[in-house]
Amino acid sequence: MALTRRDWLKTTGAGVAAAPAALGAFEQYFQPAAAPSAAVTKAISCCGICSPACGLQATIQDGVVRFIEGLPGDAHGLGHLCGKGAASVNYLYDPDRLKYPMKRTNPRKGFNEDPGWVRISWTEALDEIAFRMKQTIDNYGREALLFVTLPSPDLWLRFMNAMGVVSRIDHRDECFQTDMVIQRYTTGGKTWCNDFENSKYILLFGWDIVAKAKIIYANGIVEARKKGAKIVHFSPNYTATSRFANEWIPVKPGSDLAIALAMIQVIISENIYNKEFVDNYTNFGRYESEIRAHFAQYTPEWAETISGVKAADIRRIAREFATNGPAIAPAHKKTLCANYMNGTQLVHAISILNILAGTIDRPGGRYFPRTHSIPGVDAVYPPPAYPAKSGRRVDGRDKLPLVNEVDAGLFSTLADGMLNKYPGMIKFAFWNAYTILAFPNPKTMEEAMKTVDFTVVMDFIPTDTVNMADIVLPSAMYLEVNDAVARDYNAKYPQTVARTAVSAPAFETRSIGWVAIELGKRLCPDYFKTPDGSWINPATLLDEKVKRAGLGENFADFRAKGIVETKQPFTPRTSFVTVSGAEGKCQIYVPQFPARGADPLPKWVPKREEPNEHYPYYYMTFIPAIHKRNTTQNMAILNEIMPTNHAIINPAMAKKHGISEGQNVLVRSRAGQIELPAHLSETVPPDVVMVAHGFGHASRALSKAGGKGVRDGDLIANPSIDDFVKAGNFGGSSCIMDAVCSIEPL
Amino acid sequence: MGTYGWLIDEKLCIECRACESACKTWNQLETGVGVRWRQVRVREMGVYPQVRQQALTGSCHHCENAWCMKVCPVKAIWRRAEDGTVQIDQDKCVGCQQCAMFCPYGAPQFNVRTRKMSKCTFCVDRQEQGLDPACVTLCPTGALQYGPWEEIQNKGSETTENFAPPRQTRPRVRFIKEAFPVSR
Repeated sequence: MALTRRDWLKTTGAGVAAAPAALGAFEQYFQPAAAPSAAVTKAISCCGICSPACGLQATIQDGVVRFIEGLPGDAHGLGHLCGKGAASVNYLYDPDRLKYPMKRTNPRKGFNEDPGWVRISWTEALDEIAFRMKQTIDNYGREALLFVTLPSPDLWLRFMNAMGVVSRIDHRDECFQTDMVIQRYTTGGKTWCNDFENSKYILLFGWDIVAKAKIIYANGIVEARKKGAKIVHFSPNYTATSRFANEWIPVKPGSDLAIALAMIQVIISENIYNKEFVDNYTNFGRYESEIRAHFAQYTPEWAETISGVKAADIRRIAREFATNGPAIAPAHKKTLCANYMNGTQLVHAISILNILAGTIDRPGGRYFPRTHSIPGVDAVYPPPAYPAKSGRRVDGRDKLPLVNEVDAGLFSTLADGMLNKYPGMIKFAFWNAYTILAFPNPKTMEEAMKTVDFTVVMDFIPTDTVNMADIVLPSAMYLEVNDAVARDYNAKYPQTVARTAVSAPAFETRSIGWVAIELGKRLCPDYFKTPDGSWINPATLLDEKVKRAGLGENFADFRAKGIVETKQPFTPRTSFVTVSGAEGKCQIYVPQFPARGADPLPKWVPKREEPNEHYPYYYMTFIPAIHKRNTTQNMAILNEIMPTNHAIINPAMAKKHGISEGQNVLVRSRAGQIELPAHLSETVPPDVVMVAHGFGHASRALSKAGGKGVRDGDLIANPSIDDFVKAGNFGGSSCIMDAVCSIEPL
Repeated sequence: MGTYGWLIDEKLCIECRACESACKTWNQLETGVGVRWRQVRVREMGVYPQVRQQALTGSCHHCENAWCMKVCPVKAIWRRAEDGTVQIDQDKCVGCQQCAMFCPYGAPQFNVRTRKMSKCTFCVDRQEQGLDPACVTLCPTGALQYGPWEEIQNKGSETTENFAPPRQTRPRVRFIKEAFPVSR
């Protein structure tokens, strides 16, 4: 008996009744056929939930995306998706999605204020934004502008450059900014690629990527174990990553740096580093006496007193790492798992370990991605000269010259800059797809946002940030736009996947690139014209990029292929750092650092806060596998799996304070307090309170996530830029888990 | 098509829940009504720091001796002759939840909106189109596989930690118990 899908769903009671409910607000928009047709098509695209952007296939029936699965042959998803990507339909058809441009009618701003939205046209919205922006520049100068956004896509970056925006702020200080800073001077590039599958020894300092479910990394770990590699995981708490480790070694929170420094000491003093690599491709020889003298102080016995890890274990692991290669110690995407005041020093130490193992751009090590060269808009249509960026940055980044060089950050010091350092300086703010929950201390950020005269927020769903806007713009989501997305996490040879609009942009949603052009027409027209004088057209631009990158005749041709790859043998690099004075070598000792306010060799720096009599416990935050930071809590399936967060504590701590499972507790820090239910777990140490990040959305317009859970950031004290400078945190590690707390039952 | 069974290698599970998302999306299951046909259950054993965790994906195992079928008072639960899968007829089900009480694996679940029982169908509709079950299709590490029962049943252990004794219901599932190789 061959069943039709419709008949089958009827017998199981699953689909037919539930489908319209699942579509919700989109039902009318799509006007689905009265009877589902049997005709099913498939389209290729890329996920947009996290950065590897795994390739995907969408099953489309009657114009509605029904199912999302992996794309065979894709180097990132390896033909699969994680639970977040697989639930993409929830994101696409979220009934809460922002649908039209709107303006605020309630002048009072705050998380708990109803903005009193009124629908307006795109023309009215863009005219008003352009007027306000010009007025701000005329009256207060360019330093009064704040753009909270990544420097992408290229059209959007061109708009900001053309307008001379000084304060462009992004989240990378909470993510891989320290690695960007360190890699630039120690190995010469962004080492996002970890060749786990060919590695024999994998050393993880709080690096919890299996538990983030990034498929390409998780699969690398799985493949390594299948081939017999040894994995060592240093982490205070036991995680999914620990499950894949041969050895999980508990450490005191924020003490990984001591272990890494001691391992370097062991490897150097015993001369067990990879001699061939170190002699030929690093500056070890030139600075040998400085290096040996510096690390001599960091003995395993010293590290034991700080980390709680036995000196004998540190010594043994250092020897195993150095002599059982190829060995690797990843650092990129450390995200929340090692985000302490000493994070920059830690990442430098980790980089040195990889250099001593001799696996930079070698099989089994951290290597440089080989990607297609996809030109940006500035290469396709060279712009007129951009105005000089004059004025102060509100986040104070000028005090961290190395972060300036990579043009990232700083979420962590923005609130302090807006409220204390430069109060009232920012008059106009444009937020693109960032939620306020991402900041250490969202409460302070809320206060900072209130000081801005005019705020624009472009987003997908009505987040807390949207609630603070004067004008809100609805964004098209990743399944509604076209692009060419290079594979740069697993990139031994170039591969690029087509992101295609499997669904037309819903309602009046638009892409940020389109907004850039429209604002550009109003404010800086010379930057948005092609050589023949016509306005830049995003589709034509994409065609040209695809053609120049050799991906196809035009985008349609590329889309038909779906995946384009250029197979080539992996040729290890012999030339590394390109900054002046580096002579193309990897740099253990970084002679350029002192002139830039940084230490040439990593040194011990304590974490910002240690337990004390008022706050006797460490406070740690984490990102659960089922959510992408603070962006996925409103997705129905993910919300059902994990709707809220808990104070996760060890049963021993619970007993001490008389706390039982599920009981509400009050967790306090010097920055604030949160109330939430306790969850008892033996996976956390008895002196740690752990809270998942991403919850506590105040916006009631988020029908699933609104009002659920608490903000982990409410316990994090805002750091200032001076704190960073004083602590040798020259890469600006954001301290989003560097706090201590107390706990009591309610 | 013949009879199929699940093959689970729990050490490969990264707790990403792709199997859960795929199941809910393909089968268009509502959220918030108490129905999650496939679930990854994470359990912890031991005392810190001698602690470890198990992540075990589970759904209906389409048992050879399906207690749910036996106890259903209205004969709403039936076995498809073509493939041996166990299905719930929504027209006949009265939502008495007897099946849920007898199933050792939490497979039949009460949908609080329809007031009827609901469970994994083994994606028979996909299998008829030559496709793998949705959960298996998405699983990124091979922790969850499936195949013809005559092959699967000889592939691994009948049970695993935290799995109800299989002797009575004879679930169509096997567990790979080999650890990762250790080279030193």
